[in-house]
Amino acid sequence: MASMTPALRKPWTAVLWEWLTTVDHKKIGILYTVTAFLAFGISGIIAWLFRLQLAHPESNLFTGEVFNQMITVHGAMMLFFFIIQAGLTGFGNYVVPLMLGARDVALPRINAFSYWTFLFSILLVLSGIFFGDLPQAGWTFYYPVSTSLGSAFYFTAILLLGISSLLGNANFVATIYNLRARGMTLWQMPIYVWSVLAASILNLVSLAGLTAATLVTLLDVKLGLSLFNPAIGGDPVLFQQFFWFYSHPTVYVMLLPYLGILVEVASTFAKKPVFGYRAMVFAQMAIVLLGLLVWAHHMFTVGESVIFQLAFAFFTALIAVPTGVKLFNILGTLWGGKLEMKAPLLWVLGFIFNFLIGGITGVMLSMVPLDYQFHDSYFVVAHFHNVLMAGSGFAAFAGLYYWFPKFFGRMYDERLGRLHFWFFLFGYLFTFLPQYALGFLGMPRRYYTYPTEVAGLLPLNQVATFGATLFMIGGLIWLWNMIKSLRSGERAPANPWGGWTLEWLVPSPPPEHNFDVKLPEKFESERPLYDWEKKGVRLEPEDPTHVHLPRPSLWPLFTSVALFLLFFGLAAYPWPNAVMLLGALLTVAGLLGWALEHEYADPETDHPTRSGKSNAFMGTVWFLSSEVGLFAILLAAYIYLRLSGAATPPAERPELWLALVNTFFLVSSSFLVHYAAHDLKRGNRSSFLLGLLVAIVFGVIFLAIQTYEFLVAAGHMDWREELWAAAFFIVVGLHGLHVLIGATGLLLAYLQGVFGKILPQRPGTLESASLYWHLVDGVWLVIVALFYLW
Amino acid sequence: MNGGRILVAIGALFAVALAHNVAIVTDAPQNREVANLLGWVLVFSVVIFAGVAGALLYTIVRYRRRPGDDALPPQFRENARVEISLTLIPLVIVLVLFVLTAQALVKINRPIAGAHGVEVTARQFWWDFRLPEEGVRLSNELVIPVGRPVEAKLTSADVIHSFWVPSLAGKTDAIPGQTTYNRFMATKPGNYYGYCAELCGPSHANMRFRVIALEPDQYARFVEALKAYRAPEPKTERARRGQQLFMTRCAACHTVKGTPAAGVLGPDLSILGNRLTLASGVVENTRENLIAWIKDPTQIKPAAQMPAFPDLTDADLEALADYLESLRLEGFDFSALPRF
Repeated sequence: MASMTPALRKPWTAVLWEWLTTVDHKKIGILYTVTAFLAFGISGIIAWLFRLQLAHPESNLFTGEVFNQMITVHGAMMLFFFIIQAGLTGFGNYVVPLMLGARDVALPRINAFSYWTFLFSILLVLSGIFFGDLPQAGWTFYYPVSTSLGSAFYFTAILLLGISSLLGNANFVATIYNLRARGMTLWQMPIYVWSVLAASILNLVSLAGLTAATLVTLLDVKLGLSLFNPAIGGDPVLFQQFFWFYSHPTVYVMLLPYLGILVEVASTFAKKPVFGYRAMVFAQMAIVLLGLLVWAHHMFTVGESVIFQLAFAFFTALIAVPTGVKLFNILGTLWGGKLEMKAPLLWVLGFIFNFLIGGITGVMLSMVPLDYQFHDSYFVVAHFHNVLMAGSGFAAFAGLYYWFPKFFGRMYDERLGRLHFWFFLFGYLFTFLPQYALGFLGMPRRYYTYPTEVAGLLPLNQVATFGATLFMIGGLIWLWNMIKSLRSGERAPANPWGGWTLEWLVPSPPPEHNFDVKLPEKFESERPLYDWEKKGVRLEPEDPTHVHLPRPSLWPLFTSVALFLLFFGLAAYPWPNAVMLLGALLTVAGLLGWALEHEYADPETDHPTRSGKSNAFMGTVWFLSSEVGLFAILLAAYIYLRLSGAATPPAERPELWLALVNTFFLVSSSFLVHYAAHDLKRGNRSSFLLGLLVAIVFGVIFLAIQTYEFLVAAGHMDWREELWAAAFFIVVGLHGLHVLIGATGLLLAYLQGVFGKILPQRPGTLESASLYWHLVDGVWLVIVALFYLW
Repeated sequence: MNGGRILVAIGALFAVALAHNVAIVTDAPQNREVANLLGWVLVFSVVIFAGVAGALLYTIVRYRRRPGDDALPPQFRENARVEISLTLIPLVIVLVLFVLTAQALVKINRPIAGAHGVEVTARQFWWDFRLPEEGVRLSNELVIPVGRPVEAKLTSADVIHSFWVPSLAGKTDAIPGQTTYNRFMATKPGNYYGYCAELCGPSHANMRFRVIALEPDQYARFVEALKAYRAPEPKTERARRGQQLFMTRCAACHTVKGTPAAGVLGPDLSILGNRLTLASGVVENTRENLIAWIKDPTQIKPAAQMPAFPDLTDADLEALADYLESLRLEGFDFSALPRF
């Protein structure tokens, strides 16, 4: 235990190396959490600065471009880098494996890679400063205003972040399916784990919308390749369909984990079980489902048909019901309890009050004629800060104070924690309640100045700025609390709050292997510590030889740096360029080093999973769901443009026979990969290697033929002038990129085979690579049908 | 505690703001629908807010742990009756609100026969209005008759903008390559504030406009006068010089009826003297503002597309201002109209 071993002071270089190469879910959780809250602090300061401008609308403090950059960076940072991360990847990485009784996540190195890639995506956005390319079209980067203003760094950063979050989400799902303690059923998982599962699935299913929107706008900026360009019949509104297909569901990604945290805190501090556990889980799943059906309520003003608007208004109104269930059940968990009025609970109580207002104004926004008025006004600004800042944000602080002792082994300062809460609560009331009124008065959002002669605008804005100042003071108190507590806080016991979930069983902070005891294999509810104590179950110490931890690795960081270089090249310079090519090569080198390294010190031990499927398989399947989504969205857009007559194929199209030759190579290679896997299982190593090698060669032939085809096609189709050609190059080109990535994956598996890292019972990268390859194959058949035959 | 008093203060602020002049609650027909819906939803909101906030307050007061009380409270896990009712009540409420929404939505979006048509083209960062029936063009200040429904046909010449006159109706986006409609009607004469509501670039906040609603007879006279209007010949030497400057420096982008100036890239300046504002509703139409604008538009409107004219001397600027101020329809002064 931490307190028993006198900590030998390690040199700082050793400590740094430890953090750079860590694959420990707890360290990664801390990295995510600290980075996310840092992003919160920075974008909070930015918000306060532009509120100063709004308190003096005639001043020239921050105007025009600078003001727009500030609101854009504020929004993007708060959403992408703080609120999506803190509750999900931050606390989730730290707490979920503990709650499940696991020693790490399913894919620890992937986890480290996700974190570094997340960090680099922040750095990528910010490095735009040096190229005069900070985003300034709002975090929503609507087409075409965003492309007319550059924003390439922002687009590439979002794509990079997408890779990070998909891998992170797939990792969570695999962890939850595969690594639950023996005997723990899904229905015995803490609500927080359920909420991480729900948020991860939702993100996996919907992220493709953002990827599609960002990719097409980036291609527009770099190559003039676009589905949205109205000059050639493209549809700018299509961008919004793509964007909101992701960005509304993601609002629930920003909410669900936090609802989970609130429930855990409420249950612990009321000393009661969760009220309506099953109803909560079902409500959560209903939110996931309905969350996918409401995106167009952000687009009521684009002039779609009344039926279209009504359908989305209906689901939007409906989603208030499961959300209400969650709120009522949090209240129900407190009801009849014995409330311990400590800082984490204060944030929960504050949340309930704030979210109540945010929920009600959300229902108002679902009423379309009201939305025509409120849309893009300060009413909407007040509403989403109400649910995100005073809602999810408050829950983020509930979680931070709740788990602070566990993370850092020290207690926070209770008095400062409360003070922080009150400043934030009143900061919120003063900042955002006046903004509802501003909406009623007709003040549009994203204005750096406004007509002061319109009664009410000036005083209400000044009150809002005063509120933002309270936020700043609260923020300073929080910062002081964190610094003070980390340095000299009281030592935290294992279970300072009397919590009943498994993270409170282990010391604060937990040892690297998490559990020193052997967990009983019988779970009765989501509160194992309560149940075991009641039944008088004694916990036996674990046999240390049963503990196997993944080894630290530098490859995730290396690969992430290389990927950053690639994306930096994509953003900063015209395509192609040396930086991006170097980045791509180094990425492959990183993956190679990664693939050939043993994850565990003892590669012979088995790591059985709950589902019986390997972690790699589970992770890949979920990851691929997002790839299917990406092609589905782009193909749906193509079909829409085609049917609406905007994209008509030119007389001279890419040759069908060439595509059929390519189909032959790709389909054969898929069979080859399939039989190679069989050969491996049967222990026939040489025919496994040969099969895989031929499959890779077929993949390369496919790419060579496609390159030829593209060169010919570019000779007679101008994608800047013809929408069909643009769609062809975007979709078929993206598929080609997938073939390239898939072939690289197969190559990694092949090399693992050559160097003896793949064994019949441990197929290594082969499982993931072959799944990916089959998907690429399946997508190709659809592409042949839609682009060559139709 | 202080908190309560502060809440009351915020509430009072709210009440003052609402009672004062709430843009979106007017008796313009579209806003009557809005007010009606708002009334309904506010009733439900108050009930729900009181219920839940009350329950929260009760929980905080009643279920606080007393010092020394270490026994666990009753460990109940669910209550089917409560849970089902707390699902059904919100369900019924949102369904009722949805039905009301659907009714209002259909009403608002119904095309109006005999509406007064206006073609609106949004540009970075100003508004162009054409009245096809009357065959006239107005820029940045749209003049309409009171009591007649208006159907604004919107499009954009560059990026997406959004047409919003809060006191008359909700907003509709203006999208390049597409046509959308915004329908509204003024019930009383006035000078209505209009805004671009979709972030469109550095001067999004400076892309405002005005809708000037006139009594029908005054409107008819205005339109007749505008149709017949030809820019008056400059009366002074300086204005004449201004006219010459205008024709060489400004006419490629701006139109002045009755002169060779017929550019369409910039706003129509035929009756600039009658306009209440400059720079698309951003500053008052005064001589100083006019001169400052011509000298360097980006000082007033960052990233404005009109170039600066640093080479014009003060005398040139005075001359131009003289000429531009002389461009007016006599007998129409809108400055006394109430503002909404």
